[in-house]
Amino acid sequence: MSNTPDAARDPHRPNVKLYMAVFGALLCLTLLTVAVSKLHLPRPQAIAVGLLIAAVKASLVAAIFMHLWGEDGRIPRILAAVVFFAAMMIFPILDGAFLVPSATSRVAVADQHPDEGGAAAPAAEKPAEVK
Amino acid sequence: MSQSHADSHGHGHAQSFLRRYVFSVDHKVIGLQYLFASMFFLLSGFALMMLMRWQLAFPGQAIPFFGRLFPADLAPNGVMSGEFYNALGAMHGTIMIFLGIVPMGVAAFGNYVLPLQIGAPDMAFPRLNMASFWLFLPGGALMLGSFFLPGGAAQSGWTSYPPLSVINPGQTVWLLAMVLLITSSLLGSINFLVTTANLRAPGMSLMRMPVFVWGEVVASVLLLLAFPPLEGAAILQLMDRVAHTSFYMPKDLVILGSHYAGSGGGQPLLWQHLFWFLAHPEVYVLVLPPMGIVAEIIANNTRKPLHGYTTMVLSMLSIGVMSLIVWAHHMFISGMSPALSNFFLVTTMIISVPSVALMTCLVFSLKGASIRYSVPMLFALGFIPLFAIGGLTGLPLGLTVTDIYLHDTYYVIGHFHFVVVTGSVIALFGGVYHWFPKWFGRKMNDTLGQIHFWGSVICMVGIFLPMLPMGLAGASRRLYDPTAQMHNLIVQPLNVVSTMFTYGLALFQIPFLWNFFHSIFRGEKTVENPWQATTLEWACPSPPPHGNFEKTPRVYRDPYEYSAPGRKTDYWPQNEPA
Amino acid sequence: MNATTAAVPQTSSGISNAKLGVWLFLASEIMLFSTLFTTYIVLRLSATSWPWGWTALNVPLGTLNTAILITSSVTIVMAYARAYDRDVAGFRKWMALTLALSACFLVVKAFEYGHEFSLGIGPSTSVFYAVYFTMTGLHGLHIVGGIIVNSGLLYMSYRKDCWEDPLFLGRVEGAGLYWHFVDIVWIFLFPALYLL
Repeated sequence: MSNTPDAARDPHRPNVKLYMAVFGALLCLTLLTVAVSKLHLPRPQAIAVGLLIAAVKASLVAAIFMHLWGEDGRIPRILAAVVFFAAMMIFPILDGAFLVPSATSRVAVADQHPDEGGAAAPAAEKPAEVK
Repeated sequence: MSQSHADSHGHGHAQSFLRRYVFSVDHKVIGLQYLFASMFFLLSGFALMMLMRWQLAFPGQAIPFFGRLFPADLAPNGVMSGEFYNALGAMHGTIMIFLGIVPMGVAAFGNYVLPLQIGAPDMAFPRLNMASFWLFLPGGALMLGSFFLPGGAAQSGWTSYPPLSVINPGQTVWLLAMVLLITSSLLGSINFLVTTANLRAPGMSLMRMPVFVWGEVVASVLLLLAFPPLEGAAILQLMDRVAHTSFYMPKDLVILGSHYAGSGGGQPLLWQHLFWFLAHPEVYVLVLPPMGIVAEIIANNTRKPLHGYTTMVLSMLSIGVMSLIVWAHHMFISGMSPALSNFFLVTTMIISVPSVALMTCLVFSLKGASIRYSVPMLFALGFIPLFAIGGLTGLPLGLTVTDIYLHDTYYVIGHFHFVVVTGSVIALFGGVYHWFPKWFGRKMNDTLGQIHFWGSVICMVGIFLPMLPMGLAGASRRLYDPTAQMHNLIVQPLNVVSTMFTYGLALFQIPFLWNFFHSIFRGEKTVENPWQATTLEWACPSPPPHGNFEKTPRVYRDPYEYSAPGRKTDYWPQNEPA
Repeated sequence: MNATTAAVPQTSSGISNAKLGVWLFLASEIMLFSTLFTTYIVLRLSATSWPWGWTALNVPLGTLNTAILITSSVTIVMAYARAYDRDVAGFRKWMALTLALSACFLVVKAFEYGHEFSLGIGPSTSVFYAVYFTMTGLHGLHIVGGIIVNSGLLYMSYRKDCWEDPLFLGRVEGAGLYWHFVDIVWIFLFPALYLL
């Protein structure tokens, strides 16, 4: 409690000054990421910078506001396990990455499977739309 | 010590009937609610299957007795229509898995037995527990009731692959019901994990917990982490159906000669990834708690400690980790990248190692024991070889080369029914016989139990064994009329055999149901610890009062201290001081 | 140790039920949103073309909403700090401010949606808009859930016995954890949809 002599040494006591500093940093980073987007960088660089800034902001929130910094060590460990399993979502992404549009385009299909009528189809197809 | 907050929710003084039996926060009442609900759903799912089996054995013939009861659009002149068959198939799978076995194994047994086994007065969040059941029941009612709604029940298989599921009628209700069920199971799994982490009796260290608790913990972790991806995927499919987005609908999709109207640009394979991200771990959710039940029964009836308790716990944990990275072995021939197939082939072969370790520990536990052939033990002994058949028939499906041939044949159906029916369901039956005295303070009849056991096991094998050769002969799993394909005619007699055993299995459930409901009221009265077991659930009265233990028990030793040398009795309860 | 924590029932793990429960819930939420981000990446990778977010959406409004949500994260952590010191009036002030900011977020979002619908743009327009509407919609539902929880806590703070309940501070902390998580999701959604 604030009125006990222990208050100063309580490690879990909320640190208001730190919260305000993080608040300032988060607002600055938000403006920064918008400013960077105005530069119209090429796509890969834009994505890299955007995600980097977002990751910094998210870490600040998690570490300070969610008290992960200084939290009982088991909770970060649980989170690490969760992040590991969430990272398994890389496999659907890899699978999607292999399915590039050029490989499934009508031309490519016609090229590889002439019997499946990829190129011949458009003439027959002017049907009504259905829901 | 661990005085739960349950105490603040009224200690059973003059509660109304509604508070006590319907909207109860007591883990034991909720456990029984789950038990009765899941038994009802298991029976309904089985009834759907009996209808389907008729069509498979005698395609095109009117269903006897019940055929006329169905409306003409489902079964004209009593003959099942293709749409009805598809709906039955989809709902059989959905009901059995999400409404039958998982709620029974995880929620019913978990709710009743887990807090008792760790010496807790209740679950960590009793009101959340009640909420979980009251989300489950409407979800289940909606799912089962979808047969009576306009549009009918879902027809796209329990896997609900798009684009078919986005086009087929009935799917919207399925998705809504799934969202309810998923939310319910998320609440439940959080509750189990917090309870196990926080409400253990003093002295109950992690490695003194019974194997069943470990099975529940791993199953809860899997539900917690694997269900949200399916929830997300279901929301996307719901958007596809309701808001006409195209998450799963590819460009230029032509249905019955017409272009699909959505914008296109979606990925049908994405659903399969997200679905199996849940549905493969779900298999282990179906199996691990029943395996824990079998371990409890075996330790109790062999009267000696389990062989390799640590190995079993570590195997369960490694199964838990591995099961989240094997899912795409369901997709080898879906058009997925072959590079990924190789990765998932390897992880699938790796996960069979801890599974075999678990089974080996169970078998070795029998070595040198003077086995007490009680009814629960019969089920546990039946579990071991039959579940092993289920596991071993899975290996050819996990290897890409053989899977190309076997995929989507009756072989697959035979395989996973050996796992789930002669594995999980048999173990759950064993668990009912084992813990029935604890639940109701009375015993079930042994003779009827033995009739039930032998009849069920023989019929189950009779149903599923013919499916393996049928699949090898090339019979496809989702055919409405198996005789429509010439190559199936040679194995059609096996379909008839399978159907006959299905009706036999139904008959052998009658002694069980009679035994169960009769024994609740008229069964032979028992004492606190009729099986002379060591774990904590037997250290409180049967049935336990509100709050379970008179005073919080203290744990002194490992869970299965049977036949300890130098003691008068052959069992040494966990809570008995040295 | 201060008096508040000493009165909370001891647990086997030493972490309170509420905190562990909320973190496990957030674990499942992490899986849910990583699924949606995976969907976003998969669809974007396989798309023939993908619009720059700033050509399709209103960046100033998005930036405003980001600022609102970040501020609300600060106000709720301030509410927790006040509750920690048992400053009842301070807690109510900061919690009310949090609720006002969350309502502002939803209003701004409603304006954005309204503008898009008035242009005839909806979830079925293209895969980009499907992702945009679904992800922001689901995030919006989480905001609504947070508003319900937070107003429940504000309501409880007017009952006298709640400040004697040792679990109340844990509930405030749990609600805060959830709210920060919703903030983090938006921190990723904003660049992913509006800027890149």
